[in-house]
Amino acid sequence: MLVNVLYFGMLAEATGLPLESWEVPPAASVRKLREQILDKYPALRDRKFKIAVNQQMVDETLLLPPLAEVALLPPFAGG
Amino acid sequence: MIHKPKKVFVDGPISPQFIADSIAKHQSKTTIGAHNIFLGQIRADEKAGGTVTGIEYTAYTDMAEQAFHDIREAAFARFKLTCMHIYHSLGLVPTGEISLFVFVSSPHRRATFEALEFIVEEIKAKVPIFGKELVGQAGDYTWKENK
Repeated sequence: MLVNVLYFGMLAEATGLPLESWEVPPAASVRKLREQILDKYPALRDRKFKIAVNQQMVDETLLLPPLAEVALLPPFAGG
Repeated sequence: MIHKPKKVFVDGPISPQFIADSIAKHQSKTTIGAHNIFLGQIRADEKAGGTVTGIEYTAYTDMAEQAFHDIREAAFARFKLTCMHIYHSLGLVPTGEISLFVFVSSPHRRATFEALEFIVEEIKAKVPIFGKELVGQAGDYTWKENK
């Protein structure tokens, strides 16, 4: 199934693009997707980031719904 | 009480005139006895590559607007506020200019002190806004991280 992944800030810089469609196995976990992404972009391994799915912060055991909007979020800097 | 989502993001710095106009708009709200304002200003920090000249802000806009809305609702639920306004910059804000404007009003002062601190800390911790600190004149930069 397909999920849409958004990269922000220093992460978009490391991947070279702001968004990307990813093919993942049905009911894949966030952890599984994270591993796929880190395999493709090793530069992300030493970056700190959190993951939001459909605009909610999630932990890595969550199973991805089809067409999920997944966002990789570097440290916040508002204010 | 449900409050409508409000527009928070503004392009570039928040001008002193905009802040003054916001204050003036409250003169007709005569149940208010206390206003409190927080202004975030861009510091000229010294970095390895030179002095910070500004911050370029980006955001996960949809999630950020929802996060601002949730913070507003939480603040209205916790503190006795008459009204609340939050504005945050996107894009480039040069050193010395304002990037965050939080404005709370209440019949009495105590609620405004407590609400203001709560709102600013929540924004720093929970809103997906990202900042690129521009350093020196050669195009160098670092990514800002809230502590």
